[in-house]
Amino acid sequence: MGVVDKLKSVFKKKDGEAAPAAEAKAAPAAAPKAAPAAAPVVAAGESTMDGSVYAKASALGPIPGYVPGLGAPEGGKIKVALYWAAACGGCDVSVLDSDEKILNIGAMADIVMWPIAADGKEKDIEEMEDGAITVSIINGAVRNSENEHMVKLLRKKSKLVVAYGTCAAFGGTPSLANLTGGAQDILDYVYTKTPTSADFQAQYHADKPVIPQTEIQVPEGTLTLPVLYDTVKSLDQVIDVDYYVPGCPPTQETLAVLLDAVVGFVYKGEALPPKGATIGTTKKTLCEECPRHKENRRIDRIYEPHEVDVEPDLCLMDQGILCLGAATAGGCGAKCTRAGQPCRGCYGPTDAVSELGASVFTAVASLFPVIEEDPTCKEDKIIEIMSSVKDPLGYFYAFSMSKSLIKRSVKEGGQ
Amino acid sequence: MADFEPRIVAFCCNWCSYAGADGAGVARLQMPTNFRIIRTMCSARVDPEHVLRAFSKGADGVIVLGCHPADCHYIGGNYRARRRIALLRMVLEQYGFDPKRLKLEWVSASEGEKFQKTIVEFVDTIKELGPTPLKGDE
Repeated sequence: MGVVDKLKSVFKKKDGEAAPAAEAKAAPAAAPKAAPAAAPVVAAGESTMDGSVYAKASALGPIPGYVPGLGAPEGGKIKVALYWAAACGGCDVSVLDSDEKILNIGAMADIVMWPIAADGKEKDIEEMEDGAITVSIINGAVRNSENEHMVKLLRKKSKLVVAYGTCAAFGGTPSLANLTGGAQDILDYVYTKTPTSADFQAQYHADKPVIPQTEIQVPEGTLTLPVLYDTVKSLDQVIDVDYYVPGCPPTQETLAVLLDAVVGFVYKGEALPPKGATIGTTKKTLCEECPRHKENRRIDRIYEPHEVDVEPDLCLMDQGILCLGAATAGGCGAKCTRAGQPCRGCYGPTDAVSELGASVFTAVASLFPVIEEDPTCKEDKIIEIMSSVKDPLGYFYAFSMSKSLIKRSVKEGGQ
Repeated sequence: MADFEPRIVAFCCNWCSYAGADGAGVARLQMPTNFRIIRTMCSARVDPEHVLRAFSKGADGVIVLGCHPADCHYIGGNYRARRRIALLRMVLEQYGFDPKRLKLEWVSASEGEKFQKTIVEFVDTIKELGPTPLKGDE
Protein backbone atom coordinates (compact mmCIF):
# COMPACT_ATOMS: atom_id res chain seq x y z
CA MET A 1 0.00 0.00 0.00
CA GLY A 2 1.47 3.31 -1.02
CA VAL A 3 1.72 6.34 1.17
CA VAL A 4 -1.03 8.08 -0.78
CA ASP A 5 -3.43 5.21 -0.20
CA LYS A 6 -2.57 5.25 3.47
CA LEU A 7 -3.31 8.91 3.64
CA LYS A 8 -6.56 8.44 1.81
CA SER A 9 -7.68 5.96 4.36
CA VAL A 10 -6.70 8.34 7.12
CA PHE A 11 -8.78 11.04 5.50
CA LYS A 12 -11.64 8.69 4.89
CA LYS A 13 -11.75 7.68 8.49
CA LYS A 14 -11.44 11.25 9.54
CA ASP A 15 -14.14 12.53 7.23
CA GLY A 16 -16.62 9.80 8.04
CA GLU A 17 -19.14 10.12 10.83
CA ALA A 18 -18.10 9.35 14.34
CA ALA A 19 -16.27 6.06 14.24
CA PRO A 20 -18.19 3.08 15.59
CA ALA A 21 -17.18 2.36 19.12
CA ALA A 22 -16.27 -1.19 18.20
CA GLU A 23 -13.63 0.00 15.78
CA ALA A 24 -12.15 2.34 18.32
CA LYS A 25 -11.96 -0.47 20.82
CA ALA A 26 -10.37 -2.80 18.33
CA ALA A 27 -7.67 -0.30 17.53
CA PRO A 28 -5.79 -0.28 20.80
CA ALA A 29 -5.62 -4.02 20.74
CA ALA A 30 -4.18 -3.90 17.27
CA ALA A 31 -1.58 -1.27 18.00
CA PRO A 32 0.48 -3.12 20.61
CA LYS A 33 0.39 -6.29 18.53
CA ALA A 34 1.61 -4.46 15.49
CA ALA A 35 4.54 -3.00 17.36
CA PRO A 36 6.83 -6.02 17.76
CA ALA A 37 5.90 -7.28 14.32
CA ALA A 38 7.20 -4.10 12.75
CA ALA A 39 10.57 -4.32 14.41
CA PRO A 40 12.61 -6.75 12.33
CA VAL A 41 15.63 -4.46 12.43
CA VAL A 42 17.77 -6.81 14.42
CA ALA A 43 18.73 -10.13 12.91
CA ALA A 44 17.56 -13.25 14.67
CA GLY A 45 19.71 -14.16 17.63
CA GLU A 46 20.57 -10.57 18.46
CA SER A 47 18.41 -9.50 21.28
CA THR A 48 19.76 -5.99 21.72
CA MET A 49 16.80 -4.15 20.32
CA ASP A 50 14.22 -6.10 22.28
CA GLY A 51 16.31 -5.81 25.37
CA SER A 52 16.47 -2.05 25.18
CA VAL A 53 13.31 -0.54 23.78
CA TYR A 54 10.90 -3.09 25.13
CA ALA A 55 12.52 -3.24 28.50
CA LYS A 56 11.79 0.46 28.67
CA ALA A 57 8.28 -0.15 27.42
CA SER A 58 7.52 -2.49 30.27
CA ALA A 59 9.05 0.00 32.64
CA LEU A 60 6.32 2.40 31.53
CA GLY A 61 3.82 0.19 33.34
CA PRO A 62 2.63 0.74 36.89
CA ILE A 63 3.66 4.18 38.07
CA PRO A 64 2.88 5.26 41.62
CA GLY A 65 0.79 8.38 41.97
CA TYR A 66 -0.97 7.93 38.65
CA VAL A 67 -4.05 10.00 37.91
CA PRO A 68 -7.10 8.12 36.55
CA GLY A 69 -7.33 8.05 32.75
CA LEU A 70 -8.90 10.69 30.58
CA GLY A 71 -11.15 8.05 29.05
CA ALA A 72 -12.07 7.92 25.41
CA PRO A 73 -13.98 11.03 24.43
CA GLU A 74 -17.40 10.91 22.81
CA GLY A 75 -17.30 9.18 19.47
CA GLY A 76 -14.53 6.92 20.70
CA LYS A 77 -11.67 8.86 19.24
CA ILE A 78 -9.03 10.99 20.80
CA LYS A 79 -7.65 14.05 19.09
CA VAL A 80 -4.03 14.09 18.03
CA ALA A 81 -2.07 16.98 16.56
CA LEU A 82 1.28 16.66 14.87
CA TYR A 83 3.22 19.80 14.23
CA TRP A 84 6.61 20.68 12.83
CA ALA A 85 8.53 23.70 13.94
CA ALA A 86 12.15 24.22 12.79
CA ALA A 87 12.61 20.75 11.38
CA CYS A 88 13.61 19.01 8.19
CA GLY A 89 10.45 16.91 7.87
CA GLY A 90 12.25 13.67 8.66
CA CYS A 91 10.30 13.23 11.89
CA ASP A 92 7.01 13.48 10.02
CA VAL A 93 8.27 10.95 7.53
CA SER A 94 9.22 8.69 10.42
CA VAL A 95 5.58 8.78 11.53
CA LEU A 96 4.48 7.83 8.01
CA ASP A 97 7.18 5.16 8.15
CA SER A 98 5.10 3.32 10.71
CA ASP A 99 3.67 1.45 7.69
CA GLU A 100 0.32 -0.17 8.39
CA LYS A 101 0.37 1.07 11.97
CA ILE A 102 -0.53 4.47 10.63
CA LEU A 103 -3.98 3.03 10.05
CA ASN A 104 -4.17 2.35 13.76
CA ILE A 105 -3.33 5.96 14.38
CA GLY A 106 -6.16 6.88 12.04
CA ALA A 107 -8.49 4.46 13.79
CA MET A 108 -7.73 5.55 17.32
CA ALA A 109 -7.45 9.24 16.73
CA ASP A 110 -8.70 12.20 14.78
CA ILE A 111 -5.66 13.92 13.40
CA VAL A 112 -6.70 17.52 13.90
CA MET A 113 -3.50 18.99 12.57
CA TRP A 114 -0.58 17.61 10.62
CA PRO A 115 0.84 20.18 8.23
CA ILE A 116 2.82 17.69 6.17
CA ALA A 117 0.04 15.20 5.57
CA ALA A 118 -3.41 16.25 6.71
CA ASP A 119 -5.58 19.32 6.77
CA GLY A 120 -6.19 21.34 9.89
CA LYS A 121 -5.63 25.05 10.14
CA GLU A 122 -4.46 27.32 12.89
CA LYS A 123 -7.95 28.79 13.26
CA ASP A 124 -9.44 25.32 13.72
CA ILE A 125 -7.10 24.78 16.63
CA GLU A 126 -7.83 28.23 18.02
CA GLU A 127 -11.54 27.48 18.07
CA MET A 128 -11.05 24.37 20.18
CA GLU A 129 -11.51 24.38 23.91
CA ASP A 130 -8.39 24.31 26.05
CA GLY A 131 -7.23 20.74 26.55
CA ALA A 132 -9.39 19.40 23.71
CA ILE A 133 -6.42 17.72 22.03
CA THR A 134 -5.28 14.63 23.91
CA VAL A 135 -1.74 14.67 22.66
CA SER A 136 0.30 17.03 20.51
CA ILE A 137 3.36 15.46 18.98
CA ILE A 138 5.66 18.33 18.09
CA ASN A 139 8.89 17.94 16.20
CA GLY A 140 11.46 20.60 15.42
CA ALA A 141 13.21 23.29 17.40
CA VAL A 142 11.72 26.72 18.04
CA ARG A 143 13.42 29.19 15.81
CA ASN A 144 10.99 31.89 14.75
CA SER A 145 7.86 33.69 15.90
CA GLU A 146 5.57 31.33 14.01
CA ASN A 147 7.11 28.27 15.70
CA GLU A 148 6.70 29.93 19.06
CA HIS A 149 3.10 30.98 18.45
CA MET A 150 2.04 27.55 17.22
CA VAL A 151 3.69 25.51 19.97
CA LYS A 152 2.23 27.82 22.62
CA LEU A 153 -1.19 27.45 21.01
CA LEU A 154 -0.89 23.67 20.88
CA ARG A 155 0.28 23.57 24.49
CA LYS A 156 -2.82 25.48 25.54
CA LYS A 157 -5.14 23.17 23.64
CA SER A 158 -3.44 19.89 24.57
CA LYS A 159 -3.44 17.63 27.60
CA LEU A 160 -0.09 16.12 26.69
CA VAL A 161 2.77 17.52 24.64
CA VAL A 162 5.47 15.26 23.30
CA ALA A 163 8.79 16.66 22.10
CA TYR A 164 9.25 14.30 19.19
CA GLY A 165 12.67 14.01 17.64
CA THR A 166 16.04 15.42 18.57
CA CYS A 167 15.34 19.00 17.43
CA ALA A 168 12.36 19.32 19.74
CA ALA A 169 14.13 17.53 22.57
CA PHE A 170 17.62 19.07 22.40
CA GLY A 171 17.59 21.70 19.66
CA GLY A 172 19.04 19.35 17.07
CA THR A 173 20.97 20.44 14.03
CA PRO A 174 19.12 23.78 13.67
CA SER A 175 20.52 24.80 17.05
CA LEU A 176 24.02 24.91 15.58
CA ALA A 177 22.82 28.27 14.27
CA ASN A 178 23.36 29.46 17.84
CA LEU A 179 27.06 29.52 17.02
CA THR A 180 26.61 32.25 14.43
CA GLY A 181 26.28 35.92 15.21
CA GLY A 182 22.49 35.70 15.28
CA ALA A 183 19.55 36.10 12.94
CA GLN A 184 20.83 39.18 11.10
CA ASP A 185 24.18 37.49 10.54
CA ILE A 186 22.48 34.46 9.01
CA LEU A 187 20.18 36.53 6.77
CA ASP A 188 23.09 38.62 5.54
CA TYR A 189 25.10 35.53 4.76
CA VAL A 190 22.33 33.63 3.02
CA TYR A 191 21.01 36.53 0.96
CA THR A 192 24.18 38.41 0.11
CA LYS A 193 27.26 36.24 0.60
CA THR A 194 26.53 32.75 -0.75
CA PRO A 195 27.76 32.64 -4.36
CA THR A 196 24.33 32.23 -5.97
CA SER A 197 22.64 34.98 -3.99
CA ALA A 198 25.68 37.25 -4.33
CA ASP A 199 25.45 36.88 -8.11
CA PHE A 200 21.74 37.59 -8.03
CA GLN A 201 22.12 40.66 -5.84
CA ALA A 202 24.98 42.01 -7.95
CA GLN A 203 23.00 41.55 -11.12
CA TYR A 204 19.61 42.87 -10.08
CA HIS A 205 20.04 44.83 -6.87
CA ALA A 206 23.54 46.21 -7.07
CA ASP A 207 22.58 49.39 -5.19
CA LYS A 208 20.79 47.73 -2.29
CA PRO A 209 20.54 43.98 -1.70
CA VAL A 210 17.09 42.53 -1.25
CA ILE A 211 16.60 40.74 2.05
CA PRO A 212 13.21 39.36 3.11
CA GLN A 213 11.30 41.72 5.39
CA THR A 214 9.10 40.52 8.21
CA GLU A 215 6.48 43.11 7.40
CA ILE A 216 5.59 45.04 4.26
CA GLN A 217 2.76 47.32 3.21
CA VAL A 218 0.97 46.51 -0.05
CA PRO A 219 -2.27 48.04 -1.40
CA GLU A 220 -4.23 45.07 -0.06
CA GLY A 221 -2.90 45.48 3.47
CA THR A 222 0.07 44.35 5.52
CA LEU A 223 1.96 41.19 4.61
CA THR A 224 4.01 39.51 7.29
CA LEU A 225 6.60 36.79 7.58
CA PRO A 226 7.71 35.12 10.82
CA VAL A 227 10.59 36.79 12.66
CA LEU A 228 13.77 34.73 12.81
CA TYR A 229 15.19 34.51 16.34
CA ASP A 230 18.84 34.86 17.32
CA THR A 231 18.79 31.78 19.52
CA VAL A 232 17.31 28.44 18.53
CA LYS A 233 15.53 26.82 21.46
CA SER A 234 14.45 23.33 22.27
CA LEU A 235 10.73 22.84 22.82
CA ASP A 236 10.94 22.69 26.61
CA GLN A 237 12.70 26.05 26.69
CA VAL A 238 9.50 27.60 25.30
CA ILE A 239 6.62 25.49 26.61
CA ASP A 240 6.00 22.82 29.21
CA VAL A 241 6.80 19.40 27.74
CA ASP A 242 5.42 16.12 29.10
CA TYR A 243 7.52 13.56 27.24
CA TYR A 244 10.64 13.44 25.18
CA VAL A 245 11.20 11.13 22.25
CA PRO A 246 14.71 11.73 20.94
CA GLY A 247 16.08 10.41 17.69
CA CYS A 248 16.92 11.81 14.30
CA PRO A 249 14.37 10.61 13.49
CA PRO A 250 12.93 8.49 16.32
CA THR A 251 12.76 4.83 15.42
CA GLN A 252 9.49 3.16 14.57
CA GLU A 253 9.75 1.09 17.70
CA THR A 254 9.93 4.22 19.81
CA LEU A 255 6.84 5.60 18.14
CA ALA A 256 5.08 2.32 18.85
CA VAL A 257 6.06 2.56 22.51
CA LEU A 258 4.75 6.12 22.66
CA LEU A 259 1.45 5.24 20.99
CA ASP A 260 1.04 2.18 23.18
CA ALA A 261 1.46 4.37 26.24
CA VAL A 262 -1.15 6.85 25.01
CA VAL A 263 -3.57 4.14 23.90
CA GLY A 264 -3.16 2.25 27.14
CA PHE A 265 -3.80 5.42 29.08
CA VAL A 266 -6.84 6.58 27.16
CA TYR A 267 -8.63 3.32 26.53
CA LYS A 268 -7.46 1.07 29.34
CA GLY A 269 -6.73 3.53 32.11
CA GLU A 270 -3.10 2.41 32.38
CA ALA A 271 -0.63 4.69 34.06
CA LEU A 272 1.31 7.09 31.91
CA PRO A 273 5.05 7.32 32.25
CA PRO A 274 6.09 9.97 34.79
CA LYS A 275 6.05 13.51 33.45
CA GLY A 276 9.32 14.49 31.87
CA ALA A 277 10.21 10.91 30.95
CA THR A 278 12.28 10.18 27.91
CA ILE A 279 10.65 7.47 25.87
CA GLY A 280 12.57 4.92 23.87
CA THR A 281 16.01 5.43 25.37
CA THR A 282 17.94 3.14 27.66
CA LYS A 283 19.66 4.13 30.88
CA LYS A 284 23.00 2.99 29.54
CA THR A 285 24.92 4.26 26.56
CA LEU A 286 24.84 3.12 22.99
CA CYS A 287 27.95 0.97 23.55
CA GLU A 288 25.74 -1.44 25.51
CA GLU A 289 23.78 -2.36 22.40
CA CYS A 290 26.49 -1.87 19.81
CA PRO A 291 27.61 -5.29 18.53
CA ARG A 292 31.19 -4.18 17.84
CA HIS A 293 33.83 -5.48 20.23
CA LYS A 294 36.22 -3.19 21.98
CA GLU A 295 39.95 -3.71 22.35
CA ASN A 296 40.59 -0.44 24.16
CA ARG A 297 43.19 0.58 21.62
CA ARG A 298 44.79 3.99 21.82
CA ILE A 299 44.67 6.30 18.84
CA ASP A 300 47.01 9.03 17.73
CA ARG A 301 44.80 10.70 15.19
CA ILE A 302 41.17 10.89 14.15
CA TYR A 303 39.97 9.42 10.88
CA GLU A 304 36.83 10.05 8.89
CA PRO A 305 35.01 6.83 7.99
CA HIS A 306 35.84 7.35 4.32
CA GLU A 307 39.58 7.55 5.02
CA VAL A 308 39.91 3.99 6.29
CA ASP A 309 38.58 0.55 5.52
CA VAL A 310 36.20 0.21 8.42
CA GLU A 311 36.62 -3.17 10.09
CA PRO A 312 33.17 -4.68 10.47
CA ASP A 313 33.39 -6.00 14.02
CA LEU A 314 35.79 -3.68 15.80
CA CYS A 315 34.78 -0.67 17.88
CA LEU A 316 34.89 2.47 15.74
CA MET A 317 36.74 4.42 18.41
CA ASP A 318 39.43 1.74 18.37
CA GLN A 319 39.78 2.44 14.67
CA GLY A 320 40.21 6.15 15.26
CA ILE A 321 36.75 7.09 14.05
CA LEU A 322 35.12 9.64 16.31
CA CYS A 323 32.01 7.87 17.59
CA LEU A 324 29.85 9.54 20.22
CA GLY A 325 28.25 6.27 21.31
CA ALA A 326 30.16 6.23 24.58
CA ALA A 327 28.33 9.37 25.70
CA THR A 328 24.96 8.91 23.99
CA ALA A 329 21.91 7.20 25.45
CA GLY A 330 21.06 3.91 23.79
CA GLY A 331 17.69 2.74 22.53
CA CYS A 332 18.12 3.10 18.79
CA GLY A 333 19.54 -0.39 18.35
CA ALA A 334 22.89 0.99 17.18
CA LYS A 335 21.67 1.36 13.62
CA CYS A 336 24.49 3.66 12.57
CA THR A 337 27.39 1.72 14.05
CA ARG A 338 26.02 -1.52 12.60
CA ALA A 339 26.26 0.15 9.22
CA GLY A 340 29.83 1.30 9.85
CA GLN A 341 28.97 4.90 10.57
CA PRO A 342 29.89 6.50 13.89
CA CYS A 343 27.21 7.57 16.34
CA ARG A 344 26.58 11.31 16.11
CA GLY A 345 24.68 11.57 19.37
CA CYS A 346 21.09 12.12 18.25
CA TYR A 347 19.65 10.26 21.26
CA GLY A 348 21.15 12.84 23.57
CA PRO A 349 22.98 12.43 26.87
CA THR A 350 22.24 9.75 29.44
CA ASP A 351 20.38 10.63 32.62
CA ALA A 352 23.57 10.79 34.63
CA VAL A 353 25.05 13.82 32.89
CA SER A 354 23.63 17.17 31.93
CA GLU A 355 25.13 17.54 28.50
CA LEU A 356 26.47 15.26 25.84
CA GLY A 357 29.48 17.23 24.66
CA ALA A 358 31.30 17.27 27.99
CA SER A 359 30.96 13.50 28.31
CA VAL A 360 32.51 13.08 24.89
CA PHE A 361 35.50 15.23 25.81
CA THR A 362 36.30 12.91 28.65
CA ALA A 363 36.03 9.83 26.50
CA VAL A 364 37.87 11.16 23.48
CA ALA A 365 40.72 12.82 25.34
CA SER A 366 41.44 9.60 27.21
CA LEU A 367 41.85 7.73 23.93
CA PHE A 368 45.02 9.58 23.07
CA PRO A 369 47.95 7.66 24.55
CA VAL A 370 50.51 9.05 26.95
CA ILE A 371 53.53 9.86 24.84
CA GLU A 372 57.21 9.70 25.67
CA GLU A 373 57.56 13.48 25.76
CA ASP A 374 54.59 13.84 28.09
CA PRO A 375 56.63 14.45 31.28
CA THR A 376 58.74 17.14 29.64
CA CYS A 377 56.69 18.70 26.85
CA LYS A 378 54.82 22.00 26.98
CA GLU A 379 51.08 22.40 26.56
CA ASP A 380 51.58 23.49 22.94
CA LYS A 381 52.54 19.94 22.05
CA ILE A 382 49.32 18.63 23.62
CA ILE A 383 47.27 21.21 21.75
CA GLU A 384 48.94 20.01 18.56
CA ILE A 385 47.92 16.43 19.34
CA MET A 386 44.37 17.34 20.23
CA SER A 387 44.01 19.45 17.09
CA SER A 388 43.49 16.15 15.36
CA VAL A 389 39.89 16.57 16.51
CA LYS A 390 38.46 18.95 13.95
CA ASP A 391 35.65 21.29 14.96
CA PRO A 392 35.01 19.70 18.38
CA LEU A 393 32.16 22.06 19.19
CA GLY A 394 30.25 21.37 16.00
CA TYR A 395 30.90 17.64 16.16
CA PHE A 396 30.21 16.96 19.83
CA TYR A 397 27.16 19.19 20.01
CA ALA A 398 25.80 18.47 16.53
CA PHE A 399 22.42 17.55 18.01
CA SER A 400 22.25 19.21 21.38
CA MET A 401 23.48 22.80 21.25
CA SER A 402 20.26 24.24 22.71
CA LYS A 403 20.61 21.98 25.73
CA SER A 404 24.33 22.54 26.22
CA LEU A 405 25.50 24.42 29.30
CA ILE A 406 26.68 27.48 27.36
CA LYS A 407 23.85 27.31 24.77
CA ARG A 408 25.13 29.82 22.23
CA SER A 409 28.16 31.71 21.00
CA VAL A 410 29.35 34.62 23.09
CA LYS A 411 31.30 37.74 22.31
CA GLU A 412 34.24 38.91 24.37
CA GLY A 413 34.50 42.56 25.26
CA GLY A 414 31.00 43.88 25.66
CA GLN A 415 27.50 42.58 26.03
CA MET B 1 36.54 48.20 34.57
CA ALA B 2 38.75 49.46 37.37
CA ASP B 3 36.45 48.08 40.05
CA PHE B 4 35.97 44.75 38.31
CA GLU B 5 36.62 41.93 40.72
CA PRO B 6 36.66 38.64 38.82
CA ARG B 7 35.12 35.48 40.19
CA ILE B 8 37.43 32.57 39.58
CA VAL B 9 36.92 28.88 40.22
CA ALA B 10 40.12 27.01 41.03
CA PHE B 11 40.14 23.24 40.89
CA CYS B 12 43.04 21.90 42.97
CA CYS B 13 44.12 18.28 43.08
CA ASN B 14 44.21 16.84 46.56
CA TRP B 15 47.78 15.55 46.48
CA CYS B 16 49.80 18.44 45.09
CA SER B 17 48.06 21.71 44.35
CA TYR B 18 45.72 21.76 47.33
CA ALA B 19 48.68 21.15 49.59
CA GLY B 20 50.52 23.85 47.65
CA ALA B 21 47.67 26.27 48.30
CA ASP B 22 47.81 25.28 51.95
CA GLY B 23 51.53 25.97 51.94
CA ALA B 24 50.92 29.41 50.46
CA GLY B 25 48.47 30.11 53.27
CA VAL B 26 50.75 28.86 56.02
CA ALA B 27 53.58 30.97 54.64
CA ARG B 28 51.18 33.97 54.66
CA LEU B 29 51.83 34.78 51.05
CA GLN B 30 49.69 37.68 49.86
CA MET B 31 47.35 37.07 46.96
CA PRO B 32 44.02 38.32 45.64
CA THR B 33 40.88 36.76 47.09
CA ASN B 34 39.02 36.39 43.81
CA PHE B 35 39.22 32.63 43.66
CA ARG B 36 37.24 29.82 45.23
CA ILE B 37 39.05 26.51 45.54
CA ILE B 38 37.29 23.26 44.81
CA ARG B 39 39.34 20.30 45.95
CA THR B 40 39.27 17.26 43.71
CA MET B 41 41.10 14.00 44.18
CA CYS B 42 42.95 14.46 40.91
CA SER B 43 43.05 17.02 38.11
CA ALA B 44 41.57 14.28 35.94
CA ARG B 45 38.52 14.31 38.22
CA VAL B 46 37.66 17.71 36.79
CA ASP B 47 35.02 16.75 34.28
CA PRO B 48 34.71 19.14 31.35
CA GLU B 49 31.12 19.50 32.53
CA HIS B 50 32.38 21.06 35.78
CA VAL B 51 34.31 23.67 33.86
CA LEU B 52 31.46 24.44 31.46
CA ARG B 53 29.03 24.64 34.36
CA ALA B 54 31.30 27.10 36.13
CA PHE B 55 31.31 29.31 33.03
CA SER B 56 27.57 28.92 32.50
CA LYS B 57 26.98 30.08 36.08
CA GLY B 58 28.98 33.22 35.46
CA ALA B 59 32.57 32.43 36.44
CA ASP B 60 35.00 34.87 34.82
CA GLY B 61 37.78 32.32 34.71
CA VAL B 62 38.52 28.73 35.62
CA ILE B 63 41.93 27.46 36.63
CA VAL B 64 42.77 23.79 36.97
CA LEU B 65 45.81 22.95 39.08
CA GLY B 66 47.40 19.53 39.21
CA CYS B 67 50.60 17.64 39.98
CA HIS B 68 53.57 18.17 37.71
CA PRO B 69 53.84 15.76 34.77
CA ALA B 70 55.30 12.43 35.91
CA ASP B 71 54.31 13.34 39.46
CA CYS B 72 50.66 12.34 39.49
CA HIS B 73 49.50 10.38 42.52
CA TYR B 74 47.49 8.21 40.12
CA ILE B 75 50.37 7.85 37.62
CA GLY B 76 48.68 9.41 34.60
CA GLY B 77 45.73 11.52 35.75
CA ASN B 78 47.32 14.82 34.86
CA TYR B 79 48.09 13.58 31.33
CA ARG B 80 44.38 12.92 30.84
CA ALA B 81 43.51 16.28 32.32
CA ARG B 82 45.84 18.22 30.04
CA ARG B 83 44.32 16.55 26.96
CA ARG B 84 40.81 17.38 28.12
CA ILE B 85 41.73 20.93 28.93
CA ALA B 86 43.35 21.31 25.49
CA LEU B 87 40.10 20.15 23.88
CA LEU B 88 38.04 22.35 26.17
CA ARG B 89 40.08 25.39 25.28
CA MET B 90 39.42 24.70 21.61
CA VAL B 91 35.72 24.47 22.34
CA LEU B 92 35.63 27.61 24.48
CA GLU B 93 37.36 29.47 21.68
CA GLN B 94 34.73 28.21 19.23
CA TYR B 95 32.02 29.48 21.56
CA GLY B 96 33.68 32.89 21.43
CA PHE B 97 35.39 32.90 24.83
CA ASP B 98 38.99 33.98 25.08
CA PRO B 99 40.72 30.63 25.74
CA LYS B 100 42.90 32.41 28.32
CA ARG B 101 39.89 32.23 30.64
CA LEU B 102 40.71 28.56 31.19
CA LYS B 103 44.15 27.82 32.51
CA LEU B 104 45.96 24.65 33.43
CA GLU B 105 49.00 24.85 35.69
CA TRP B 106 51.13 22.41 37.63
CA VAL B 107 51.71 23.20 41.30
CA SER B 108 53.35 20.69 43.61
CA ALA B 109 52.78 20.35 47.35
CA SER B 110 55.90 22.32 48.15
CA GLU B 111 55.29 25.14 45.70
CA GLY B 112 53.33 27.63 47.78
CA GLU B 113 55.12 30.44 46.03
CA LYS B 114 54.24 29.13 42.60
CA PHE B 115 50.61 28.87 43.70
CA GLN B 116 50.65 32.51 44.73
CA LYS B 117 52.35 33.55 41.50
CA THR B 118 49.92 31.56 39.36
CA ILE B 119 46.88 33.04 41.08
CA VAL B 120 48.21 36.61 40.89
CA GLU B 121 48.96 36.21 37.18
CA PHE B 122 45.65 34.59 36.41
CA VAL B 123 43.65 37.24 38.25
CA ASP B 124 45.57 39.88 36.29
CA THR B 125 44.81 38.11 33.00
CA ILE B 126 41.11 37.93 33.80
CA LYS B 127 41.01 41.55 34.95
CA GLU B 128 42.49 42.49 31.60
CA LEU B 129 39.91 40.39 29.74
CA GLY B 130 37.02 41.85 31.69
CA PRO B 131 33.83 40.17 32.90
CA THR B 132 32.68 36.94 31.31
CA PRO B 133 30.76 37.51 28.10
CA LEU B 134 28.02 35.27 29.49
CA LYS B 135 27.19 37.44 32.47
CA GLY B 136 23.74 38.99 32.45
CA ASP B 137 22.63 36.79 29.58
CA GLU B 138 20.38 34.61 31.64
